Amino acid sequence: MSILYVLIPLALLLLGGAVWAFFWAVGSGQFDDLDTPAVRIIMDDDQKPGDGNDT
Amino acid sequence: MMAGADTCFHCALPIPAGCNLTVMIDGEQHRVCCPGCKAVAELICDSGMSQYYALREAPEPGVGRPSEEASEWRVFDSDDMLSAFTVGAGDDTEATLYVGGVYCAACSWLIESTLMRLPGVAAAELNPVTHRLRVRWRLADSSFSDILGALASLGYEPQPLTGDTEARPELMEQRMALKRLLVASLGMMQVMMFAVGLYAGDFQGIDAEMRRFLRVVSLVVTTPVVLYAARPFFAGAWRGLRARKPGMDLPVSIAVGTAFIASVYATLTDGPSVWFDSVTMFVFFLTLGRFLEMRARHRSIDRTVALSSLLPNTATRITPGGNAVVPVSQLLAGDRVIIRAGDAIPADGVVVSGRSSVDEALLTGEAAPQRKAVGDSVAAGSVNLDRLLEIQVTRTGSDTTLGTISRLSERARYARPAFVTLADRVASYLVVALLAIATVVATAWYLVAPERAFEVTLSVLVVTCPCALALATPAAFAAAGSRLSQLRLLVTNGNAIESLSHADCFMFDKTGTLTRGAPEIAAVVVLDENYTEYDCRLIAAALETASSHPLAKAFKLDDILPPVEEQHVEVGQGVGGMIDGRRWRLGNAAFVGGGTASDDGAATQVFLGVDGDPVAWFEVEDTLRPDAAATLQALKARSLRLALLSGDRTAAVEALARTLDIEEFHAGCSPQQKLAIIEAVQSKGERVVMVGDGINDAPVLAGADTSIAPAHGATLAQTSADVIMLGDSLAPLTTAVTMSAQTMRIVRQNLAWAIVYNTLALPLAALGYVPPWLAAIGMSASSLIVVLNALRLSRFE
Repeated sequence: MSILYVLIPLALLLLGGAVWAFFWAVGSGQFDDLDTPAVRIIMDDDQKPGDGNDT
Repeated sequence: MMAGADTCFHCALPIPAGCNLTVMIDGEQHRVCCPGCKAVAELICDSGMSQYYALREAPEPGVGRPSEEASEWRVFDSDDMLSAFTVGAGDDTEATLYVGGVYCAACSWLIESTLMRLPGVAAAELNPVTHRLRVRWRLADSSFSDILGALASLGYEPQPLTGDTEARPELMEQRMALKRLLVASLGMMQVMMFAVGLYAGDFQGIDAEMRRFLRVVSLVVTTPVVLYAARPFFAGAWRGLRARKPGMDLPVSIAVGTAFIASVYATLTDGPSVWFDSVTMFVFFLTLGRFLEMRARHRSIDRTVALSSLLPNTATRITPGGNAVVPVSQLLAGDRVIIRAGDAIPADGVVVSGRSSVDEALLTGEAAPQRKAVGDSVAAGSVNLDRLLEIQVTRTGSDTTLGTISRLSERARYARPAFVTLADRVASYLVVALLAIATVVATAWYLVAPERAFEVTLSVLVVTCPCALALATPAAFAAAGSRLSQLRLLVTNGNAIESLSHADCFMFDKTGTLTRGAPEIAAVVVLDENYTEYDCRLIAAALETASSHPLAKAFKLDDILPPVEEQHVEVGQGVGGMIDGRRWRLGNAAFVGGGTASDDGAATQVFLGVDGDPVAWFEVEDTLRPDAAATLQALKARSLRLALLSGDRTAAVEALARTLDIEEFHAGCSPQQKLAIIEAVQSKGERVVMVGDGINDAPVLAGADTSIAPAHGATLAQTSADVIMLGDSLAPLTTAVTMSAQTMRIVRQNLAWAIVYNTLALPLAALGYVPPWLAAIGMSASSLIVVLNALRLSRFE
């Protein structure tokens, strides 16, 4: 069980890293819009110009 | 898509009679209202983006219509403008734009995709909630005006913003709340994992060393949760104490604080138990509840809209070296600016040269133009109508009269309704009572079983926290308000939702409320077989271009008009001119050359004639809003009494009342008489909702229990109504009535739930049947239930 004395602090370090990354992402505005990304995925970008009239 | 057969597929405005423009989209014919909308719709599907129409929410009438002057954006290409509105240079220029008219995710997709196809554009991100577009591009490939022009050609109204606008308070609040939520949730998950180890150890046995280690690790993780994520609760409790109004933050803080300190003490002294898991879970659920409530609150309309969209982007400043076009944000008091006819005035100021008339309807509600000469003051947001004016700026930006007005109406919008304040007061008495109960429980347990006293008291504090009670009302109101604003009803007074739910009687004003308030051609009767109805309208529109008579607006057509020569206006008679070599006249019967029509008094007749022979006559009247009849029927079906109050002639009011099937009507009323009628009804104990024009009916609106005013775009900032109807439709009124009833039902459910939960949980906890972790779950679950129940309102149809 003594491996826990290494693994738990390691997990905490990773946790700290994750929190830091999230804070950075929030600070750079990536989470400012919480509404549109959810629907954005259903909008196709691969429709070619001109397709609109015949599909 | 609710655009019906007689509304434009693209912009949802009514299609003028005789207009037969259509677009082909995905193999289907759709009717549009003007060549501009046709062009935009074709542009959208030719670029492969026709799914915009499938994905957008119900269109707001008028949104998306192309603006007429695309070349105006050229001024933004000057170096001054670029340095004012963009960051970086050359390959990596970045600008932030406010984009008006964006109302759903489909708009943002359309705009982003369109911009990304412009040469040199590296990134375009639009947030439809804040209406802010960030675009990054190579200046060598596309000019700033190309980008602005592309947006304008899609029918949106771009407005370049200068730097500081990003730091808006809601955005900052949301970022902070997200960080706190993350810290609390990650902390809770980690501590819960260690807690499983500790609990398992209690049953199976555990090394004293390992137990100590797990406790220390839990302490390390819990510390940021308590000190960072739970800080708003401590701050709130401290504020409440200083103001002598203890809120629900106080018991939360006492519970979190004492449990944390006791756990730290137990960790250091190897005491019997720790409560880190309860602490983190409690903080997490509370933070989550607060976060959901904040989101509902923020989802109301963007408040910068009112002010910024009414001011022009640029102004022409007079400098010793000649005139320069500058962004309005760079104007200072003392600057002299030139205002051309037709332009909006960018700042408050005093006329230093010129003489003109100015439309101040936006500020004063006075529809008639005001004459302005040297020495008169003019206000930002009003429109210079006929001649060049030179003004000296006295106040700019938010200091202007317009800025003050919109700040005041904003404050009203954020004022807490009395109902919510009452719930807060009740909660604060409850908090004091709970603290007293907790003290009694603590003393009792200390005398009976001192080793369990702390744990039981902690459970009592946590389980009875009146969070659910305090959240019950504001969460429901916030959710209802945000849903109503999606339905184009802006609630400026929180009490309106409550008072609307008790309404007994709806009183309607006529002009501008049940009708559109702008004259329209109701009927065209063609007398000469050689002409179609549309020919007559085209000719009439061409002739009327010379006239500034109020009726002339009714004839305006968005189409290519035939050229008119020798155009002239005969005051009080009509207009005339040569088209295709023939002498046309438009006006009263005598002026045109004879002709009679049936006279029922309701509408005005305008005749069109050529070379002395009448060709057609038009019936011009103020038309009903398209869904007025249906809405009134729906209100009636809810057993609400309807009445019509109008200052208009009896004949016209009676005709309208008959059309709409309203039994009670009062014609020829002055505002005082209208108020007297309302007060008479109120004295019979009925609650009156007045739906009226914000401008003329201000005292009447103030006298009613609930006031609802249609926003005629410009008057948004100054109306004092409790609810403002945006858009052209009356139908949201019915929804508002149903929704207010539903909101009050949800508030009652929430309050009932909170009270039942607290009365059940308190005795159990006081008797020691509820361990702290279960108390944390119970309390948090009850708050979450309340918030989620309230959020059902945001899906209300």
